[in-house]
Amino acid sequence: MLLVSVQMFINLDQLLNKVNERKNGFDFISISKKINDENQTIKSVFDTQEIKELQSKPFVDGVAPLIANEFRVHISAQGIFGTDLFLETLENEFIDTVPNSFQWTEGQMIVPLIISSDFLEAYNVFAPGNNLPQMSAETVTRLPIIIQCSGQGKQISMQGRIVAFSDRINSVLVPKSFLDWANQNLGEVSEHGATRLFIKTKDANNPDFLSYLDKKNYLINKDKTRLGRTKQTLQAVFSGLGVFGLLVVVMALMLFSFYLQLLIARSRDSLQLLLLLGYSPTWLSKNVSRQFIPVYILIVLSALALTQVLQWAFHHTVMYDRPELSSTVNWVVVLIAAGLIILSIVTNYRLVRKLLYKLY
Amino acid sequence: MYLQLQNLLPVYFEESKKQTSEIWGKDLQFEKGEMIKIVAPSGSGKTSLTHFIYGTRSDYTGSIAYNDSNIKQFSFENFAGWRKDHLSIVFQDLRLFSEQTVFENIDIKRQLNAFHTVEKIKEMAERLGIGKKLGAKAKTCSYGEQQRVAVIRALMQPFDFLILDEPFSHLDTINRQIAMELMMEEAKTRAATIILADLQRVDFFPYTKIFYL
Repeated sequence: MLLVSVQMFINLDQLLNKVNERKNGFDFISISKKINDENQTIKSVFDTQEIKELQSKPFVDGVAPLIANEFRVHISAQGIFGTDLFLETLENEFIDTVPNSFQWTEGQMIVPLIISSDFLEAYNVFAPGNNLPQMSAETVTRLPIIIQCSGQGKQISMQGRIVAFSDRINSVLVPKSFLDWANQNLGEVSEHGATRLFIKTKDANNPDFLSYLDKKNYLINKDKTRLGRTKQTLQAVFSGLGVFGLLVVVMALMLFSFYLQLLIARSRDSLQLLLLLGYSPTWLSKNVSRQFIPVYILIVLSALALTQVLQWAFHHTVMYDRPELSSTVNWVVVLIAAGLIILSIVTNYRLVRKLLYKLY
Repeated sequence: MYLQLQNLLPVYFEESKKQTSEIWGKDLQFEKGEMIKIVAPSGSGKTSLTHFIYGTRSDYTGSIAYNDSNIKQFSFENFAGWRKDHLSIVFQDLRLFSEQTVFENIDIKRQLNAFHTVEKIKEMAERLGIGKKLGAKAKTCSYGEQQRVAVIRALMQPFDFLILDEPFSHLDTINRQIAMELMMEEAKTRAATIILADLQRVDFFPYTKIFYL
């Protein structure tokens, strides 16, 4: 049981680590605070202390707040459509596609935008039904967009141009310099704070990371961490199994020690006489315990063989020979089996010696 | 190699024993090669003394030392080594493996530390008149035969001190003499000390020192 749980633990790890390999080795995920009936009256924003705490965690490689507009924004495109929208900004490092034109300095009339590729897809889905033309990504980037920002009694009209699409960030992004400037000039909110944070992490499925987020009541993209959730659950199940297996091992050792005591009690006279004649307790212990070594080795090897059969069956029938896994047991399992043999031999020897000393 | 007894007394004996005994409460030293005869009536602590010297009991006051090392400081391993190389004993109650054969009972000591060859077992057994019993289980032998088995077993290893506790109690005079001769020869080849404790004087034991317990 112990060996199988360890092997499954390793399988799980290998399976999920392969799935999660990224080209640049990082996951980027956004988190926000959970809004429910109790806290919806309070502003659910992250303060600087919370950001600092997140940054200090070992499983977090970087945190950046998504800062939103604090004024009203209306976007329209050549009479094709017009809508109230939100703008957000994020550090360039966290954006997957940043063209050189994604810059803004004060006085510049054209504001570059990066929008989620999902938005274009969504537009193309509803466009035909609303008598609007469907558009390709190239067309959209050429489309002149009017951005009307209003606040503090002022209204500013700018030109916008979509410069890139992001697969990662589900938002409309503008350069930080623009939003800072606009928030300062038009912003109607005194309190600042980010409603969303972007986290850069090596493994979004890290169970420590997930349980930390749960504890903090932070909301996260479920799909990106679904594997992690499964891993968390399965790991708990196999940990439980492993602990149970360990318990069984301990109990078996105890049972065996009772058996040994009985055995030694039964041959007490003979052993006592041997000691009396000058046979050394150490020599006798070695010889008595040596009798059991083949038994221990046989038991552990059978367990190992069984684990091997199960692993092969698991790989072959459940996992359809997936290349991430191996049909043979992991070396760690073999190591644990060897450890078990050594553990039983050593405890056995020490016990026999202790019992023999009592006979003296 | 010498054995020292200093002010020895079993804890269950009264101090007054020291006045009447030549061993209890006295300071004695037995040198290698001496033949020590201890005459001890029943209840005078003869078996206790042999067990104290052999290290199987330690309920005494005073001290016992081999070459100045007190045996109360000995570890179990020390004792095992000491019994293997320097001390041999014939117990009053013999202590044989009743389920093993006579040969196995003798050979077990030889295997521990062989002083003689296997052939010597047969030779000694013949000499003591139990040659035909070698294949028999010890429990099927008479007490006299078992006594001779215990004597031969004690002679299978090297020793500096041979401790005998009433070794001839169930032997007739001829067998006593043969056994004694055998033990004397064996002690001589090892230049060893014999300490013989018995109820009465055994006339054919050429002792160099005699003590009344």
